[in-house]
Amino acid sequence: MDALTSLFAGFETALHPMNLLYALIGVTLGTLVGVLPGIGPALTVALLLPVTAKLPPVSAFIMFAGIYYGGMFGGSTTSILLNTPGESASIITALEGNKMARRGRAAAALATAAIGSFIAGTIGTMLLTFFAPAIANIAVQIPPSAKFAMIMLAFVTISATFGNSPLRGLLSLFFGLSIGLIGTDLQSGQARFTLGFPELLDGIDFVTVVIGLFAIGETLYVASRYRKTQDVIKLEGGATMKRDDWRRSWGPWLRGTALGFPFGALPAGGAEIPTFLSYTLEKRLSKHPEEFGKGAIEGVAGPEAANNASAAGVLVPLLTLGLPTSATAAILLAAFQQYGLQPGPLLFMTNGDLVWGLIASLYIGNVMLLLLNLPLAGVWARLLLIPRPYLYAGILVFSTVGVYSLNNSVFDLVLLAIFGVIGYGMRRFDFPVTPAIIGVVLGPTAESFFRTALQQSNGDFSIFVRQPLTAFILFIVLLALVVPAILRLRARRAQPPIPPHTDAIMFDKE
Amino acid sequence: MTQSPSAPPVTPARPGISPADLAVAIGITLVGVLLLLGTLKIPFGINAVVGPRVFPLIVSIGTMALGGLLTLNALRGDRAEPGLEEDTDPDAPINHVNPAVIMVGFLIGSFLLPSLGFVIGTAVMYFSVAYAFSERRYGLMVGVALIVALITYVLFTRGLGLTLPPGILKGIL
Repeated sequence: MDALTSLFAGFETALHPMNLLYALIGVTLGTLVGVLPGIGPALTVALLLPVTAKLPPVSAFIMFAGIYYGGMFGGSTTSILLNTPGESASIITALEGNKMARRGRAAAALATAAIGSFIAGTIGTMLLTFFAPAIANIAVQIPPSAKFAMIMLAFVTISATFGNSPLRGLLSLFFGLSIGLIGTDLQSGQARFTLGFPELLDGIDFVTVVIGLFAIGETLYVASRYRKTQDVIKLEGGATMKRDDWRRSWGPWLRGTALGFPFGALPAGGAEIPTFLSYTLEKRLSKHPEEFGKGAIEGVAGPEAANNASAAGVLVPLLTLGLPTSATAAILLAAFQQYGLQPGPLLFMTNGDLVWGLIASLYIGNVMLLLLNLPLAGVWARLLLIPRPYLYAGILVFSTVGVYSLNNSVFDLVLLAIFGVIGYGMRRFDFPVTPAIIGVVLGPTAESFFRTALQQSNGDFSIFVRQPLTAFILFIVLLALVVPAILRLRARRAQPPIPPHTDAIMFDKE
Repeated sequence: MTQSPSAPPVTPARPGISPADLAVAIGITLVGVLLLLGTLKIPFGINAVVGPRVFPLIVSIGTMALGGLLTLNALRGDRAEPGLEEDTDPDAPINHVNPAVIMVGFLIGSFLLPSLGFVIGTAVMYFSVAYAFSERRYGLMVGVALIVALITYVLFTRGLGLTLPPGILKGIL
């Protein structure tokens, strides 16, 4: 009941006309960047961070949350009409939804994706409403050593456990951690890895890293192997579906939601796994398994719902523990830090208005997104026709503003170029970008918990095995590292020709 | 995991060593070594139970170890599969000139930006990206570049209150 009272207070905040406007701006921007290739919600929130310094935190986060949810809705439009998944979680939609669109069922595919996203988003937000305060209540008592262990768990699951190449995921993480080390160490006042540049004493702003790796890296990479002709499927009118489509969709929507939310809420590495699971499940349950792979509506409805439910789930560890499990969540965490707020259990007590306003705005944003995406689907589809030379050039200009405005310094632009080249290399050599972003944002926090824990134990390292919760989590970390490796090794023995170690699609723009 | 529809279906029975993959792996290992050397230059903190060196030490040794593993894999013929993005064609011939054009345009624009102003600087960048993406209608490119740069400037300075250098357009804007 407590949660309900707080939620009503949250709706008062979220329904304030100014905040409604920011929610509308957020969901519109989110859908826009979700549809446009080359740019995603993570990048958009990072670009907007410097700009929103003048907004009150509630309005800024309501807008960011809108961008986050909106990106999910927009992403499915692109996958269905363009048949090239922009994020790993959309692979299935691109496969099944595009086949539907090619059979002239684009409107139904878009409708089942949008309505499924709405249902999953709303149920996910409800679960968030009731789970988050309960978890926050427990989390208040967690000691620093266990917080450090939890960050380790997030690091390992995001970079190693569920990726295709754990080694490359971990290397990406360590790259992010190294970048996070640059600058003055706050506890001792010593400069680290500044190479004598005074500009580096404050560290590298993560905005530069994110924009470099995502926007510049992507632009360079696409330029190196550019597809000159885009095969966009035409859409007349809005997204609608018939009675039969409804009958076949509602089950997959609910099952997809049930699969997606827990995967998002546990620090378990994003939306890919639940979307794949949902696809397999629907194929097994379907009365028309022969349609799968040729455009089955269940194969769009289930995975899309799973994708969105996991997006809502991601907010649980972010708000209650301060643990981001996706790139966008990492940037939201950094945004909290820029406002001097630390997400985590205390946030619910110290900034209840903010948290509940944000959660309430998620319900409102979902309704707005449904209204924006069903009748206006055709308008969004037209965005896919923007000529690519002008689109990518525009992305580069906006990236430049976002970074230059941080300090008005050319030094930052040179850094941006360097990160752009690294981002290019990561795409070329199959290193996922998300672990690097998580490492940059969460690395300094991890170090600070590590040192606080050791200071409380007077330098005794055994604190990490004597504190029961810490030891338990670190044990799971070990399992998460070792078990998948063993399974992979056994699978390889059983099946002599070495399978290609990668699915090639590792760049989520969540 | 389901196979992605676009991944190449077969791997050669005995793949040779890919020089590019090996170079990347060795490069990463070397970065780990450099990080370790950098770590040893950090002064010990005073009055701290855990000094500022401990965490960098873990990170640098970790990078070295993981880089070493990647090198071993590369020596065994492991090669990275280039990522698939919207707007990329996995079968297209790889073009290294286009990214170079973008980088050069970006750096020229960056260094011109403080003196000649934001509009000129970013217009140079815009032009270079459009050129790299095979657009050749020069008049249109210059026009759109200037208009986008100008709108961005006005939007961010007037609308959002950021300060960006006006450069040679000072007084006009």
